[in-house]
Amino acid sequence: MTLPPDLVAVLPLVAAVLAAIAVLLVDLALPGRRTAVVLTALVALGVVAFAAVAVGGEERVAFGGAYTVDALTTFLHVLFVAIIALTITFAPDYLVPRALPVGEFAVVLIFAMTGAMLLAASTDLLLLFLGLELMVLPGYMLAAFHKSDGYSTEGAIKYFLLGSFSSAIFLFGLAFVWGLTGSTRVADVAGALGAFAAGQGTLSAGLAMGLAFMTTGVAFKIAAVPFHYWTPDAYQGSPTPITGYLSVGPKVGAFALILRLFVEAMGGLRADWLPVVIVLAAVTMTLGNLVALTQNNVKRMLAYSSIAHTGYMLLGLAAWAAGRMEGLEGLLYYGAAYSFMNLGAFAVVAALQKRTGVTSNLGTFAGLGRREPLLGVLMTLFLLSLTGIPPTAGFFAKAYVILAAVQAGGAVAILAVIAVLNAAAAAFYYLRVVVYMFMRDSETDAPAVAHGRLLWGGLAAATALTILLGLIPGPLLEVVGRAARAIG
Amino acid sequence: MPRSLLNIGAPLLIVGALVSLPVGLAFLGVIRFNEDLLFFLLAEVMLLSGLLVVTMRDIIRCGLAMIVCFGALAGIYVIAGAPLVAAAQVLIYIGAISVLILFAIMLTQTKDAPASLVFQTQALGAAVASVILALIVVITVAATDWGELGTRLHTATDALAQVLFRDYVLAFEVVSVLLLAAVIGGVYVAKREEGGPP
Repeated sequence: MTLPPDLVAVLPLVAAVLAAIAVLLVDLALPGRRTAVVLTALVALGVVAFAAVAVGGEERVAFGGAYTVDALTTFLHVLFVAIIALTITFAPDYLVPRALPVGEFAVVLIFAMTGAMLLAASTDLLLLFLGLELMVLPGYMLAAFHKSDGYSTEGAIKYFLLGSFSSAIFLFGLAFVWGLTGSTRVADVAGALGAFAAGQGTLSAGLAMGLAFMTTGVAFKIAAVPFHYWTPDAYQGSPTPITGYLSVGPKVGAFALILRLFVEAMGGLRADWLPVVIVLAAVTMTLGNLVALTQNNVKRMLAYSSIAHTGYMLLGLAAWAAGRMEGLEGLLYYGAAYSFMNLGAFAVVAALQKRTGVTSNLGTFAGLGRREPLLGVLMTLFLLSLTGIPPTAGFFAKAYVILAAVQAGGAVAILAVIAVLNAAAAAFYYLRVVVYMFMRDSETDAPAVAHGRLLWGGLAAATALTILLGLIPGPLLEVVGRAARAIG
Repeated sequence: MPRSLLNIGAPLLIVGALVSLPVGLAFLGVIRFNEDLLFFLLAEVMLLSGLLVVTMRDIIRCGLAMIVCFGALAGIYVIAGAPLVAAAQVLIYIGAISVLILFAIMLTQTKDAPASLVFQTQALGAAVASVILALIVVITVAATDWGELGTRLHTATDALAQVLFRDYVLAFEVVSVLLLAAVIGGVYVAKREEGGPP
């Protein structure tokens, strides 16, 4: 029996939906058996990753050009699965002491992954929108996961309202683009826009506004300044493992949307949108870092720092628009490196908060180097990587993006200089946590709590990836190179 | 002025203004008489009822105003040549969703809920921003050459089925996954915890 080619192409997505349903059923059949739920989720995620790699062996176009499997799709699919798997490993240690259900958490998280995977493969504006919604809708619900906590609810409502508005704005823009190009297929839109770029006719006001609205919608999702206002509250209020996921999953997913939208659909107009991206990137990284400097809450600090990282990733996009393929490769590499190091940092925060009532304030980290040396060292590693100090993944990613931008020259090179200055400023607030951990006396004398094996497993994976991507960047570089060439 | 007169006079005045504005525009030749007049009337009703939904204090009245808003939108769908979408709008939005919302309000509303709006602190700024955005949209739409999209098309139902189940079948299926995720998430958020607050 051979499956129809369209169905083969979407197999990873089908596997992801089935994975969510399987976890739901296991949770239903074995109530309270968290280990079974987590194991089912991890095994199912393994199957999804296998399906993604197997299907990604060759380039496929399915559903009349609406769905494309290329090197970029496969790279992002595997990355999303890794993000979700890591999140699931370190979540139970935080959720269980607070009597929050692990089953629902895993199910909703896998649905969000399905949306992100759809984003990575869609070459149709309508599907891109649906993928975006499927990715962020579970996110709203996850932000409200701690129902009895006022901050969680407040952050979730802000996230939900602003997220809905930005989705509506995106959809409004999409309607204009569809109306004026006559198609929702990315290839057709690219063709219609390419004609304008080649000088045949001018871009009509309606089309320009449609593209601007879509850009605004996406900028909300990646939390680029000035569309970032929901970020700190949503990140601080959410339960810590969920904050970790929110700062990574939806961001990388939205960058997948940006690649399909800006690089594939609007690639012909790159000279027109390059200034916009340069300004967005400069403002985003600068403001994110400046505000992060003043934060005393580590979760909030990481929220603002994630805004700054958005800026660095936009730098890669700007470098591509200015003619450097390395910019795109750097963006993808940065996405992977950022995911692992940021999730690692959040895993440590979540581990410390296993004891209920422990806040994510800076004081929590005082004396951690003596109380729990291993956690302290790992946190230091993740923070050094976020700062961009060799030999970590963060250093290589940042160096690659900045080098590409410098080679691009012109305004993008100036942006690269801003990025370097920002990276230097960011060192202050990242290293402040390290100072607290190793040079301050502990504020509490409560004995250390024992952490689950699963958490250590997840931390080990994040650590290994953070170090390996910094020491041996070759293999991943090859993968992102192929992924970038697939669309650039 | 006696209060009863005001109660009758104010709505009459509003309805009169609503009707006379597009009719006046039609007489002046700004809009076409037989084609655009109904659209403008429906658009006015939709905008006004939409405004009432978010500004009125009594949540039951908000729900009723929402039904009016949905009904006017269904009318616009009919004018735009999509009778199937209009029928779905009436069936699903007016028939099912609105009634469901009204029932939900009826069954859950507590009398001591705050009567005033909570998110009012930036109303002025938001109003200014909305007006500016609306102006930009109006100017842009007016400045754009819509080509043949300006003419009204009638979408036959079988053609719609072709589009929905062939060109956009994946989107159609994904929507069902989206709904499943929304239901699971919604149930979790709405579920009352044992021993938690009601």
